[in-house]
Amino acid sequence: MTSALFSQLTTLGSSVVLLFGIVLLCRRSLHAYVEAFRWQSLVLSALVIVVGRFGNAPDLYFVGVVFLAIKGIFIPRYLERLAKSVGAESESQPYVNITSSLVIAALLVLSAYVVMRPLVLATQLPTRGGMPLALGLIFVGLFVLISRKKALTQIVGFLVLENGIALLAVLGTFGIPLIVEMGVFLDLLMGFLVMQVFVYHIHGTFESIDVEQLNQLRH
Amino acid sequence: MKYVFAVSQAAFALALAPLVVGFVRWLKARMQNRRSAPPWQPYFELKKLFGKEAVVSENASWLFRAAPYVVFVSTVAVALLVPFLFVAEPFDTVGDLLAVVYLLLLGTFFLALAGLDPGTPFGGMGASREMTVAAIAEPTIAVAIFSVALGAGSTNLGRIVAQTLANPANAISPGHLLAFAALFIVALAETGRLPVDNPATHLELTMIHEAMILEYSGRYLALIEWAAALKLTIFLSLLANLFVPWGVATTIAPLSLSVAAVALLIKFGFLALVIAVVETRVAKLRLFRVPELLGVSFVLALLAVTSSFLLR
Repeated sequence: MTSALFSQLTTLGSSVVLLFGIVLLCRRSLHAYVEAFRWQSLVLSALVIVVGRFGNAPDLYFVGVVFLAIKGIFIPRYLERLAKSVGAESESQPYVNITSSLVIAALLVLSAYVVMRPLVLATQLPTRGGMPLALGLIFVGLFVLISRKKALTQIVGFLVLENGIALLAVLGTFGIPLIVEMGVFLDLLMGFLVMQVFVYHIHGTFESIDVEQLNQLRH
Repeated sequence: MKYVFAVSQAAFALALAPLVVGFVRWLKARMQNRRSAPPWQPYFELKKLFGKEAVVSENASWLFRAAPYVVFVSTVAVALLVPFLFVAEPFDTVGDLLAVVYLLLLGTFFLALAGLDPGTPFGGMGASREMTVAAIAEPTIAVAIFSVALGAGSTNLGRIVAQTLANPANAISPGHLLAFAALFIVALAETGRLPVDNPATHLELTMIHEAMILEYSGRYLALIEWAAALKLTIFLSLLANLFVPWGVATTIAPLSLSVAAVALLIKFGFLALVIAVVETRVAKLRLFRVPELLGVSFVLALLAVTSSFLLR
């Protein structure tokens, strides 16, 4: 009974996490991007704690709390501040328009299901229902990264991609060793800070955070 | 005897429909700090409209007069198939969810024809917009309900409800959840509620439903308004009973029926509250962004089908 509940909860949580990734694709303002990412991280950290509770992996509690602190609170707040200071432009003309992005996202998730099908059939893990969804989230994050034009929305795409990897790791292994997990967090934080500096420089040079302008010479 | 119960269930829904619309209006007014007409106001409006003379344009053909009856009758036919209070068996052989989807589309189609018929610019505009919305919304309804049907192994609405009652764990499966979200967005679009169409205004350049029925008056308008209210009730009960079926009676007995009625009213109250909050918080979408919103709901429905198909 508890394992049935466990698998229901993880599948449900994974689909909510994926849902926020897809919601991202139909929004335009940077604020909405950050908001969707914040909610996604909150649900994801709750999911990590659920896996820790049912999967007998107490160190996941700690991971969940750190996750909440970094991705649920710290990074969204910093993104908001960054957006404010560079005069947030909205994602008005992405490379792929919104309706097509949604259809492509659906196809990506379908292909994630197809790719993961042998694995899902072979494994006996109670969390197997959520694994295709996690892979789908990785694909969707990657798609946001390549189809959006503003530096800030691309950062959010990268963070969503990272969330997908974290979700897949938690569902597939019930927690990689704590030291590795911490290393990933540190990496992510450093990466984020470096990207933030880049955004400031892009904005300082081009007076815009549209990456399309990067292929034009200036000065 | 069973047929009597099934027909009286539909009659109950028909009688309840104006109250549902009035209640949503009342809640919405309350939330916006306005004083409101009482929730039962739509009954008076219907009575007034039925008593009035129907004025028909000289240019209108028979289609204009026939359309309100088609719209009303097709919506009532849907009400016969949908489980409101109990799982209706007798009409299961007549129609399933496919019949529901296409009967609803039949009503929409005739309303659009009637909008075009008198040749007014507003009517044509409304009809073209309604068809745009319907073309994306109808497949989403079908796909969303299909994903639930896959879980139950049957396209009969009554069977789906009974199956979910038997396996309560199904109700929080991702397929169910995604399908619920998809159907909710589509329900807002199909019943002409806020992010897509504004039900509180006449004569706005961006109106959809109101533009089509602008030429109608008297009993024709009353029939269309009543059918629209019934359509909202049908969508709410699909949302309430397919996804949260607890309370729906499986046997016809006075006790279980009264429990079902109370449960239905509570669920309707909750959904009406959600609609009122949505309508208070969001602004109307620009028309060319409506397909994006409906695209989201279609993707959700598609994912719902995928996950209920592949995770079985």
